[in-house]
Amino acid sequence: MKIIPTLTWRIWLLIIIILLSFLAIFGFPPTFTQKGIIITSVEPNTTAFNEGLRTGQKIISVDGIPINTLEDYTKIILDKFPSDEKQKITIGTSDAQFILFTEAAPEITISNIPKTNIKTGLDLTGGSRAIVQAKDKKLTTSEVNDLVDITRNRINVYGISDVKVVPISDLEGNHFMLVEVAGATPQDLKNLISQQGKFEAKIGNDTVFIGGNKDIQSVCSSPQCSGIRSCDRTTENTYACNFFFSIFLSEEAASRHATITGKLGRNSNSTLQGRYLDKNLDLYLDGKLVDSLLISEDLKGSTTQQIQISGSGNGANQADAFDDAESSMKNLQTVLKTGSLPFELEIVKLDTVSPTLGSEFIKIILYASLAAIVVVFLVIFVRYRNLKASIALLITSICEIIIILGIAALLSWNLDLPSIAGIIATIGTGIDDLVILIDESKHSRNLSLKQRMKRAFAIILAAYFTSALSLLPLWWAGAGLLKGFVFTTLIGITSGVLITRPAFADFLKRTENKL
Amino acid sequence: MEEEQNEQKHEEHHEHNEVSKQKKSFAEWYEKNYKLLLIIPLILILFGIIYQINFYNQYGDIIRKDISLTGGTSVTIYQNFDTSNLISDLSGKLNEVDVKIIYNIITGENKAVIIETKSDSETTKKVLEEYVGYELTDENSSFEFSGSTLSEGFYKQLVIAIIFAFLLMAIVVFVIFRTFAPSTAVIISAFADIFMTLVTVNVLGMKISSAGIVAFLMLIGYSVDTDILLTTRMLKRKDDKLNERIIGAIKTGLTMTLTSLFAVLAALFIIKSFSPVLSQIFIIISIGLTFDIFNTYVTNISLLKWYMEKKGLK
Repeated sequence: MKIIPTLTWRIWLLIIIILLSFLAIFGFPPTFTQKGIIITSVEPNTTAFNEGLRTGQKIISVDGIPINTLEDYTKIILDKFPSDEKQKITIGTSDAQFILFTEAAPEITISNIPKTNIKTGLDLTGGSRAIVQAKDKKLTTSEVNDLVDITRNRINVYGISDVKVVPISDLEGNHFMLVEVAGATPQDLKNLISQQGKFEAKIGNDTVFIGGNKDIQSVCSSPQCSGIRSCDRTTENTYACNFFFSIFLSEEAASRHATITGKLGRNSNSTLQGRYLDKNLDLYLDGKLVDSLLISEDLKGSTTQQIQISGSGNGANQADAFDDAESSMKNLQTVLKTGSLPFELEIVKLDTVSPTLGSEFIKIILYASLAAIVVVFLVIFVRYRNLKASIALLITSICEIIIILGIAALLSWNLDLPSIAGIIATIGTGIDDLVILIDESKHSRNLSLKQRMKRAFAIILAAYFTSALSLLPLWWAGAGLLKGFVFTTLIGITSGVLITRPAFADFLKRTENKL
Repeated sequence: MEEEQNEQKHEEHHEHNEVSKQKKSFAEWYEKNYKLLLIIPLILILFGIIYQINFYNQYGDIIRKDISLTGGTSVTIYQNFDTSNLISDLSGKLNEVDVKIIYNIITGENKAVIIETKSDSETTKKVLEEYVGYELTDENSSFEFSGSTLSEGFYKQLVIAIIFAFLLMAIVVFVIFRTFAPSTAVIISAFADIFMTLVTVNVLGMKISSAGIVAFLMLIGYSVDTDILLTTRMLKRKDDKLNERIIGAIKTGLTMTLTSLFAVLAALFIIKSFSPVLSQIFIIISIGLTFDIFNTYVTNISLLKWYMEKKGLK
């Protein structure tokens, strides 16, 4: 008796696909054997960036000390930069060495190297998701695409990493913008994506310039021409910090400035610091007055292109006021650069999910799947009293899950709760089909086994088409939030019908022939 | 090994004799009364229709929807605190409050509290922070907010998706069997599954989430496969007598459905402590699978047998 039966091509195919799936899930060399930490983002125009550090590189040492975990890295960096002194730091990645001279920790974000290539959705890893729509207006496809572009720009200005901004639509033809941020939620995400960002600089009722590249050539954000100027205690418990930055107007906007200021008179209450015109330059953001700037007398009628914008931030202590001023400044710079949206926005869905229970959740899901599989094994074993067939059924079912995970890893699909529900649905239909195969193989023994298997597959295919087709409408329903379910179920049942279940049938044939 | 097999064969043979005796008396009774059996699903469906009409008049919809379909906020706070008076304490301040608890399945210790309300996320946050006495950050809590227009649209589309799914399923069934009555029997029994599950869910007072609706969609697939198996065996096979083919189909089909049912129940047992979303999917599927056993082997068999008798197909 041969211990290893000769395998049919279907069984070989299954084995090869399973190996490929493992490759997709763990990568080559396997991710869990890799050392170090991975760079998830690098702030542009910083020392780290200029020296060549990039997203995706793996840091394996700092100053010659090997780095295995986030903690290793944080500890070295904290020890190294207690003060603002300039220091040399050598960062070793898997393929190069980078030497940085810097007074602060490198402006990069890092994380542990994930153990597998499987990506999990927000509902498991934590993060935020927002669905945005225009207020009282149905957006067209091109309007949504514009919105997505502007939002991507804004997010770039802020330097938030790991953001997905995409247009989505639903069955009723509504278009939305979906913004997903993995990991911790930036405090001002809501503001960033939902504010219309309509900026107007007015003198009296005349608009001098508005945000966007038509009126504004450039916005300075370098330390030479922007920053926080002064912080003061305004009352007992409040502090205020003032920020400023320069902008350069287009010629058209500059001449508009000249015409409008040309008509103004002199302010009779000019202060000691200087003489000013009788009207201020008022800055409005989304209809709210941000700041009102005095206009120096010598600007009257001049086609000046460089203008200094200022504003302030408040807080209960100096640090809060400073942060507030800084974020207001960034916000204002963003809208000046990116311009305003032609419509008001509304966040129709906002989820911020904490990663607290994520890993535990994954564990529970694994336990639940394991329990389901063990129960299936027991029921099948009790029913057929055939250990070989029961084990084969168990293995087939596990293979189907591995293939789904492999394809999900290959396509970088985010496995969220609906996707997991889909995997469970596949286990269910998979078992059903395998039971049909076992029963049909035992049935009508006057027919050849091949014929019996053919009959079984007629039923399996019929069931497959009903399930597959009935899933499709869900792909488009509800702004695609349940796509994951359709994705995993379709992959599962399709690979089941094409690969795993035929292999199982061949296995049954082999054991049957031997009896 | 061989001995074992002989024993098994012997046992099977013995079993076969026993079963065939029982089969005979049951078959006689069944032959006479199988049409009468159809009264049971008919009564259940009639009761269901009356119940649903009343339900609709009372709630203005065919199910109780949770906030994922009506709009509102769901907050998960990852701290253990006393929830016994939570609903009554918050009911004046928040709109329609529901509380669920996530606990450790082994120790029974509470891990998190889920609070659902129709109020918006800012109001909810303020009220809850006041209640628990600390700030809710993304370290200690999760917020999920859906606007009502979006959620209502979501619900409408999911219902459309289910109707389409059902129609597509019906088309496939017609294409497979190419005869009117047997195909209709499959479709009727699939419909009966879904409808009876819907009524049961309402009788139990469950609030359905978007995931729950997906579970109904899954039921279409789950319920149809045993019906297809049954119809194929009854209509297309000629190698055994009809009743034997029916018994064979019941054996296979029951194994399929019971395996799925036990698997789902095992998963539900573990997951119910942790995820209300997945739990609801599993609960609805369990109910549906139970009705599937009934509808496949009472409703569908009787309808199909009736048809075959009339047509003289045996």
